[in-house]
Amino acid sequence: MSEPSPEVYERGRGMDAHNKVMREIRAQKEKRYDPHEPTRVWIDEDNTPDGVYQSLTIILNTGGCRWARAGGCTMCGYVAESVEGGSVSHEALSDQIEVCLDHEEENADEESGLIKIYTSGSFLDEREVPAETRRAVAETFADRDRIVVESLPDFVSREKLADFTGVGLETDVAVGLETATDRVRRDCVNKYFDFEDFVAASEEADAAGAGIKAYLLMKPPFLSEPEAVEDMKRSIRRCAEYAHTVSMNPCNVQRYTMVDELHFRGGYRPPWLWSVAEVLRDTADVDAIVVSDPVGHGSDRGPHNCGECDDRVQTAIKDFDLRQDPTVFEQVSCDCEATWRVVMDEETSYGMPLAR
Amino acid sequence: MTDYFEVLSRDGAARIGELRLAEPLSTPALVDDVLVDAGSLWAEDREVPDGDPAALTVLPHRAFPAGTRDEIKRSFAVEHPDLDTPTAAVVASDAASDAGTDAYVLSDAPGFVGHAAAFKDAIIAAKESLPADAALALSGVATPANVATLVYAGVDLVDAKKAKVKGTQGKYLTSEGEYFLEDLEDLPCACPACRTPREEFTREDCVEHNVDALRAELALVRERIRAGRLRDYIEGQARHDAWLTAAFREFDGQYGYLEERTPVIRDSRLLAASEDALRRVEIQRFAERVTTRYRNRFDNPLVLVPCSAKKPYSESQSHGQYHDAIQWRAHQVSMTSPIGVVPQELELTYPAQHYDSVVTGRWSGDETEFVAEVLRRYLRRNEYSRVVAHVPPHGYRDICERVEAAVDVPFEYTVEDHPTTAESLSNLRDALSGELKYSKREREHNTVRAIADYQFGPGAGDAIFDDIRTTGRYPKLQVRDDAGTQLAAMVPQYGVLSFTLDGARRWVESDAPTKRVEIDGFVPHGSVLAPGVVGADDDIRPGDEVVVEGPTAFAVGRAAMSGPEMVESTRGVASEVRHVEET
Repeated sequence: MSEPSPEVYERGRGMDAHNKVMREIRAQKEKRYDPHEPTRVWIDEDNTPDGVYQSLTIILNTGGCRWARAGGCTMCGYVAESVEGGSVSHEALSDQIEVCLDHEEENADEESGLIKIYTSGSFLDEREVPAETRRAVAETFADRDRIVVESLPDFVSREKLADFTGVGLETDVAVGLETATDRVRRDCVNKYFDFEDFVAASEEADAAGAGIKAYLLMKPPFLSEPEAVEDMKRSIRRCAEYAHTVSMNPCNVQRYTMVDELHFRGGYRPPWLWSVAEVLRDTADVDAIVVSDPVGHGSDRGPHNCGECDDRVQTAIKDFDLRQDPTVFEQVSCDCEATWRVVMDEETSYGMPLAR
Repeated sequence: MTDYFEVLSRDGAARIGELRLAEPLSTPALVDDVLVDAGSLWAEDREVPDGDPAALTVLPHRAFPAGTRDEIKRSFAVEHPDLDTPTAAVVASDAASDAGTDAYVLSDAPGFVGHAAAFKDAIIAAKESLPADAALALSGVATPANVATLVYAGVDLVDAKKAKVKGTQGKYLTSEGEYFLEDLEDLPCACPACRTPREEFTREDCVEHNVDALRAELALVRERIRAGRLRDYIEGQARHDAWLTAAFREFDGQYGYLEERTPVIRDSRLLAASEDALRRVEIQRFAERVTTRYRNRFDNPLVLVPCSAKKPYSESQSHGQYHDAIQWRAHQVSMTSPIGVVPQELELTYPAQHYDSVVTGRWSGDETEFVAEVLRRYLRRNEYSRVVAHVPPHGYRDICERVEAAVDVPFEYTVEDHPTTAESLSNLRDALSGELKYSKREREHNTVRAIADYQFGPGAGDAIFDDIRTTGRYPKLQVRDDAGTQLAAMVPQYGVLSFTLDGARRWVESDAPTKRVEIDGFVPHGSVLAPGVVGADDDIRPGDEVVVEGPTAFAVGRAAMSGPEMVESTRGVASEVRHVEET
């Protein structure tokens, strides 16, 4: 009863199917990228255990996620943002870092205390980012206060993290846990690791004096709105034991993904911003910083409410990110909350989306 | 195996059913209050639910929303536990299969409801793969405006979730659409919620009203099904929304799906008030049978006359006047939109005496084309020495002139201005002077044979009734053999024949195509239930005369469901039994 069929997980049929479909979808994308340019870079503000910092966020183009080449996550469209050939040299990666430093110099008055490096893969995977490059990056940013590097849990080791902690950086590993529920991570997101791998990675980080920043995904495909909210509340509480910061992000509809196909056919709606607010409010008591950065808020393809109140609720969420004060949500209200409540009470996965 | 749902009556693909909960629920209906969801297996592992005789339990499911690829559906398909209580399985419309449950919920409904072609594809795909006697459920899609069309297509169970959502959005729903609450000056409803003064009427009230309106619409739909008149309603009501109109037209394009489910006889009125009526199964089927099964047996000239508003035609004043002029010297065939042509022998046969149409004298291109085509086919199959067209100019006459050009026999026109003027009637009388009258006996024999052709197939009238006597007074004719044993009776309210056991035996022994239901070793009284059916001919339709045979019984009766449905169903009356004998 518990499994779709007894053999599914033994043979990995569900994952095979997800991967096959995702490969076919991704194959439709033909865009290629220059290995000497980062995918994206921007300046922002972030809440950390040491307070709010100006941050330089870098999305390195490393040839893309290895998992995505096998098929990958059902909602992730970044994958396709990879270079031809699949791997990027140390020299090219160094060029990308240079571009980011130039960007910072042009766009900020001072150097950012916090550096965040994402790769849409694993910065700590040496097939993706050579050890030489990792050490050079640590060297380059040694004069900053904090650094966050993205990695799947498998690649987190105390030795690699020592490269950063060794130069005096407060170091965090950003792990795309997506959910603390293994079943949802496996069947809805199509991510291959288990919660215990995340726990193991947190122990490695701890041993190196580094911390964990967990990334959660609100509302992967196949979950109804109330199921998604419940999954996030549970997940935040569970992973707060292992991560000092949890970034809970509503799913948005990215091109060339399974989510995109479902959305196009009327089988997927990104979460309500009210759901994001509800989860943040409900989990405000946990012993971790919980933030959310809704992308594409207010649009059909991003988390949204009715169109009237999206900006106000987004502002409250951003406000909560910095202050962790749940009363910010008492300041916003809208008629569409009643609709959202019916959706929370009544939506099931066999009749969704109940409201657009 | 469907244990807790039973289809009680049918009107095309729409059905009246009963969800056999501790407190039975008449369907089509809302199931919000009786549905218990055992939960999604995407979200977490679930225990096999205990089930509840008072509720319809949705078994643990992995719902596939619209847009899910086939590989995913295959890999994540779930097993459905067998419970002793009412259950529903969640399936995708294009990946549905028998799960042994009483009902099936289509998980992709929010994706296809609102898109006519996708809706048609989804419903037909699901219906073809699921047991005929199981209930079909759609969740999160029903509104007062669309629910009649959902039911018309074959949906049995819906819920009020969508109507509630719309209410919270300030959308006031009616059977003909939706209004922004703030735009309404009046509340066009008298439900309890709408008795609130307009200025005090809130969105919560609007939610309540929307659910009331949906409930009321479902009650109306149930009544329409019981009356056999849902299609008439749909043709009018669906017109308020483009997708709904497109949806029922899409189904008109699926003649096979609707034809299998549409009864061959009804005793209710059929209103043909729109062009779409031309594409109804009943209309198409009548035209098809008249032009491929029926054959004229009279040697007399043909007189074409216009139809009358009063049915049967022969009871109308105008047809009384034509009759006085014709005096059994010609074979009288009525031309009519939307039926086509109605030979005098079939004037009682459904839907010839049951339809009502809008008469303005203005014929549309489609109507003209349809009637002309039927008349053309009729005249190619039936030879006459003469054709006297006693029809008014315009419309009827235009059709006759079009057809005349395509057939060998010339037409004689007897109407100057109007068919019932003294001059026109006199012309008609004169045109037939010298023609011989046929006898009452010939007329009655030809009538029962014509009905047999129509009902059972080409040549059936001669094959079954070669040497007969008729007794009784038209239209209550009885058909007897030489020895006086009754074989059949004509049923005036439907214009069809019903056999006695002797008649049924003659039917079986004849070369005419028969419709047989094969049953287990029992002797049915009153009716045959579906579980007792071993086999049934595919072409049996609800209302068809059928022979019921088994190892120990021979019977004749009238089918209550189609042949395929008899075979697939595990509940419900398959056929009424009129006469039976132990063998």
